[in-house]
Amino acid sequence: MAYEAQYYPGATSVAENRRKHMSGKVEKLREVSDDDLTLVLGHRAPGSDYPSTHPPLAEMGEPECSVREMVEATPGAKAGDRVRYVQFVDSMYNAPSTPYFRTYAAAINFRGVDPGTLSGRQVVEARERDMEEVAKFQLETEMSCPALASLRGATVHGHSLRLPEDGIMFDMLDRCRLENGVVIMHKDQVGRAIDKKVDFGKPMSEEEAAKRTTIYRVDNVAFRDDAEVIEWVHTIFEKRTAYGFKPE
Amino acid sequence: MADDRKKMFQKDLEIKFTKAHGDNKMEGGEITDKKVTYYRLGVDQNPRKVEMRKAGQEMADKRGLVGYNPMMHCGGIPLGQRALTPSFISGTDMMVESDDLHYVNNAAMQQMWDDIRRTTIVGMDMAHETLEKRLGIEVTPETINHYLEVLNHALPGGAVVQEHMVETHPALVDDCYCKIFTGDDELADEIDPQFLININKQFPEEQAEALKAAIGKTTWQAAHIPTVVSRTTDGAQTSRWMAMQVGMSFIAAYNMCAGEAAVADLSYAAKHAGVISMGDMLPARRARGPNEPGGISFGHMADIIQTSRVDAEDPAHVALEVVGAGCMLFDQIWLGSYMSGGVGFTQYATAAYTNNILDDNLYYNVDYINDKYDGAANKGTDNKVKATMDVVKDIATESTIYGIENYENYPTALEDHFGGSQRATVLSAAAGSATALATGNGNAGLSGWYLSMYLHKEALGRLGFFGFDLQDQCGATNTFSFQSDEGLPVELRGPNYPNYAMNVGHQGGYAAIASAAHAGRGDAWAVNPLIKVCFADDMLPFDFTAPRKEFGRGALKEFEPAGERSLIIPAR
Repeated sequence: MAYEAQYYPGATSVAENRRKHMSGKVEKLREVSDDDLTLVLGHRAPGSDYPSTHPPLAEMGEPECSVREMVEATPGAKAGDRVRYVQFVDSMYNAPSTPYFRTYAAAINFRGVDPGTLSGRQVVEARERDMEEVAKFQLETEMSCPALASLRGATVHGHSLRLPEDGIMFDMLDRCRLENGVVIMHKDQVGRAIDKKVDFGKPMSEEEAAKRTTIYRVDNVAFRDDAEVIEWVHTIFEKRTAYGFKPE
Repeated sequence: MADDRKKMFQKDLEIKFTKAHGDNKMEGGEITDKKVTYYRLGVDQNPRKVEMRKAGQEMADKRGLVGYNPMMHCGGIPLGQRALTPSFISGTDMMVESDDLHYVNNAAMQQMWDDIRRTTIVGMDMAHETLEKRLGIEVTPETINHYLEVLNHALPGGAVVQEHMVETHPALVDDCYCKIFTGDDELADEIDPQFLININKQFPEEQAEALKAAIGKTTWQAAHIPTVVSRTTDGAQTSRWMAMQVGMSFIAAYNMCAGEAAVADLSYAAKHAGVISMGDMLPARRARGPNEPGGISFGHMADIIQTSRVDAEDPAHVALEVVGAGCMLFDQIWLGSYMSGGVGFTQYATAAYTNNILDDNLYYNVDYINDKYDGAANKGTDNKVKATMDVVKDIATESTIYGIENYENYPTALEDHFGGSQRATVLSAAAGSATALATGNGNAGLSGWYLSMYLHKEALGRLGFFGFDLQDQCGATNTFSFQSDEGLPVELRGPNYPNYAMNVGHQGGYAAIASAAHAGRGDAWAVNPLIKVCFADDMLPFDFTAPRKEFGRGALKEFEPAGERSLIIPAR
């Protein structure tokens, strides 16, 4: 029987959503143009060439190396792109993704990525065009709700704060706003003003966010109620503890 | 367990989040509301920030060089885009400005560390044996009293043997002194009370008997060098300063020759052979000698804090005071300043000792344990539940989920602990301390700590900062391993233990676990009876029975520190 990846335990909608995020089989909900993406990431001007840190690999005369032969370089590495970042903040009020599941989604489904996971934010570093692929995937799919998730390179405070009345996650730098029923971003990741308002579309309704989220909450799907996940955590914990004794 | 308890944090959060403070306009609403209005009032909303801004302007005018200016924040977007709110010190009614819990702004916090760093314990018995056997000098209670009178002149910086000596001004070093303690009641009776830490008086009877039995007929000096000396030098200076003054005092008190070979024997015996530092010397890469915070084991910290002798019947309270002290010293001062820099560590640390959120979690656990395990969280040794994996899993899981649900049911609690590292500290400290209380086993508590980290991460899909991926995922593997450089009893682990050296927000919790295991059993001490007795001294400027209250007094500017220099600077 062919191996089928299982990703994550649990019988609840949250567990199912976690499996979706990890597998990469997520629903596409919106379009973000390449120029708009470039604008909000803030690493280069839309339409400009990718700055590079070395010549294309094909021109570099690389040494003989079996690993190089086995592993094909990513497009960004081939071209010599700089390593740049995309960083998301996800609200604890039923944002679709969470830092660890963004990390798992990136690490499992994309090559050449270096994810970093914190409590309030999650960063992926990669060669610039490779990073953009990850960023676009996460922005355009059900992994993100424009009201409950946002791009924040710095000053990330907000994931755990109460929501403002308009439901747009608190942002000290006010990068996103609700205008005419859609969420627009008028500053880039690090809060510099940009030339246009980038439209990320309508926020998810509270019901939709609750349905798509990967965070357990007592007022939605309580962690306490997902017995299989808790049992699995206990198993991991016991095995890691027992390994300290180096069992034969 | 049905959760019908009134939350211990409820009143604190109601005052903090539904009442106006300064001009922050936070009047109204409920602490369970998920939505709020953000007025983005900046620093103008907060009296302390306004005061600081004014001071910054005055300083710039005076020195002709700009300094503190809140408009430098985020390119002109100052702090205060959300409401700036004060906090309650847990276990007290003291409401304080958050800024005043930075140790730079808090004299009590500084003094706590001063009082630890300037302390050394030095044995007397080897010196007395050398005097008697090598020099034929009789040592009696009278000679010991005389020696202590000489030493309390010399230790602050008074001359005792040589002529034309420079001395320190007594008013600058009035916090410096030495007392002694012994497990020998007969000898203690003969010691002038001003020089004695009276174990019978300072400890409950049961603890006093245990301490005296452990100390036996040995005699120890509890010495505190001047705060101003310790601040000017470092922790490693403490034993050196003490050693020099001890040597001179012995020579003076016992009329000895300053040059004969026998005095060299005495010097070693009196000055070096029986020295106990509060903190071990750190490896060369840390470049710190003894008596610096990175070398203070969690067991030593549990013994330095004295709540166990004044509130022994409430072991959870004992652990909570150790959390507060440990988070302040290990996070705010050690990791936050010695090992790193900046101001962020205060945010991590204060979550564990403000607004009663951790207190609520731990006292919930106490009720849970007492209901399920027949009073195992009460003080005692016969009531403990066996430390098995099932017990660790049960207590740590219930504790962690209870704490997580508090954050979910009370968005203001979540907002108060707005960083995952804060929440991780609080949840794991509650789980670990509760497991230790129930089992009387610190390493079982540590195991509960790590399980809490796992559960927290899975429940919320997030944990703390990057480092948590390492330290809190691999920690379970060495919890019960005591192989060299891999594991130790929690009492002997410390801030520089492998993987703990960058554990922001953790170390106060580990100290609390060490404390909880022993307070839960009603032990008189955690790891070192000498340290427990040394700090059982009401003369110390910092009250080690109530560190959290002391931090509150510091924040409210009610705390009187030692080592002040007003005598030698222009009057203002």
